Amino acid sequence: MASRTTKALLSLGRINIPALGLNNAVSRVTYATALSVNSSSSKKGAPERNGRGFGSRKPRREAEGPRTEKMPVDQDWTAVYPAATPFRPGSVPLPVRMGYPVKGGVPPEKKGNLELIKIPNFLHLTPAAIKKHCEALKPFCTEWPSALDTDAKCDEHFPIKVECTDYVSSGLSVRNPSARIVQLKVKLSVLNLDDHARKKMLKLVGERYCKDTDVLTITTDRCPLRQQNYDYAQYLLTVLYHESWKTEAWEAEKTVADMEEYSWEGSPSQKNITDLLLRMNVAGEGEGEEVREQLLGRSEVQEYKDSVTRLKNEGDNEGSVLQYKEAVKKVFNL
Amino acid sequence: MAAPTALKRELLPLARILGGISHLKPRSLTVCSGHRKCSVTRSCLPLTPSTSFHTATFLSSSPSAITVTEEPDTLFQKLLVSVKSHDSAVLDSYEFFATMAAKELGITIGKVFEPPKDIKRMTLLKSVHIFKKHRVQYEMRTHYRCIELSHITGSTAKVYLEYIQRNLPEGVAMEVKKTAMEKVPDHILKPLWEDVPAEDKPGQ
Repeated sequence: MASRTTKALLSLGRINIPALGLNNAVSRVTYATALSVNSSSSKKGAPERNGRGFGSRKPRREAEGPRTEKMPVDQDWTAVYPAATPFRPGSVPLPVRMGYPVKGGVPPEKKGNLELIKIPNFLHLTPAAIKKHCEALKPFCTEWPSALDTDAKCDEHFPIKVECTDYVSSGLSVRNPSARIVQLKVKLSVLNLDDHARKKMLKLVGERYCKDTDVLTITTDRCPLRQQNYDYAQYLLTVLYHESWKTEAWEAEKTVADMEEYSWEGSPSQKNITDLLLRMNVAGEGEGEEVREQLLGRSEVQEYKDSVTRLKNEGDNEGSVLQYKEAVKKVFNL
Repeated sequence: MAAPTALKRELLPLARILGGISHLKPRSLTVCSGHRKCSVTRSCLPLTPSTSFHTATFLSSSPSAITVTEEPDTLFQKLLVSVKSHDSAVLDSYEFFATMAAKELGITIGKVFEPPKDIKRMTLLKSVHIFKKHRVQYEMRTHYRCIELSHITGSTAKVYLEYIQRNLPEGVAMEVKKTAMEKVPDHILKPLWEDVPAEDKPGQ
């Protein structure tokens, strides 16, 4: 009887019924369970019923201390913290203190300390854990070929370098649009180019070539995917190579202003020096084509030619100016 | 020297490895499940279809699936991993973790350095309306750490980077600059005009 009333009352929800002889724990119970509730008949409760009764029916367990007190010294820490979890003061047997110290006191202890929970912890990545993880990951790794130990050997056999960047960050989106950029670097000395092809390639490529390191850099970002950008960069390299070997009809109209290097033959400097020497009557004969050629064959004139070429190509540095001075003095026999 | 026809391996989900190590299976599941899907598809795309990836549950009893393909492995001459965060202590711990992991996996570490931090300061008005003379100043500090690894194969790089990135702490961002090396492709060895001299060269 009493049990039936209790059941009905229970289904209504939270009711405080101290008069029925139950503990005050009833007022906390809001279960509307259909389980039979033998209230007054079995206070101690049959052993089988313990798990299904009220919270008050179970024999009360004493609150045990934190787990840290029972941890053996040689335990397996990787089992306590196998993955990234927030700090649990009851699981970490360290006397950590964190926070601003109380006036005249020390920083607060770890129990109930929010500061320790807020920061990222590395308790799951102790050296023992890292070793275990790496042991499991080892079978998936491959070895670097032992023949390619120096950078020079790598450059010799694998001259093309492809650079791309990956980005990892937390945010609204996993993707980063800058990840599609691909940079292809190659040294022109490796490609099979003859003189004309090299000069044409440099003209086609313009700013993408660095003279000091002889490296051609092709950066592509016009496609939305990295694979597409890589294919486009390879395509550009192929096209540049083949186009630079071609000789078009209009390339015959190349003027002196288009030349990359200074060449002495046919320049005003050559004309000047031959005229000067003729007027000085060095050869001791009259004018004529053979005289000019003979003059040009002279060693002083050759030295002069070298010094002028060097000056024009390299610019004004001490060595080139000195060489020019010496050559001029020799020509004039000073 | 022939190109190294290295082996290409698959990655097992790390959760399974962790699950195998730990005795607390449900925990490892919840931690890694959020990351698993996207990284699985990413790492699976270039691989051969003989995978047990998509079908295997976390704790399947089948042996670990290492497939070996004849496709040559990519070779990375340099891998520059740079992390940035607002807290340098977190970066110190992460650097210890990353360098130790690299040593355990047998990867040569080039150099580990700390670029100078960036401080972004802003001076704002303290009050919503008027009081121009009273301002408040904020600053945001970004600390950096760079780890340079050299001479690493594609499979090893995948394994290492996935391991590193899964254990990236909260509030830390990472950039990985990969420099892969390749041979000169076959179509650039000779100009194709040499083989067809009689053909009219197409337009100007």
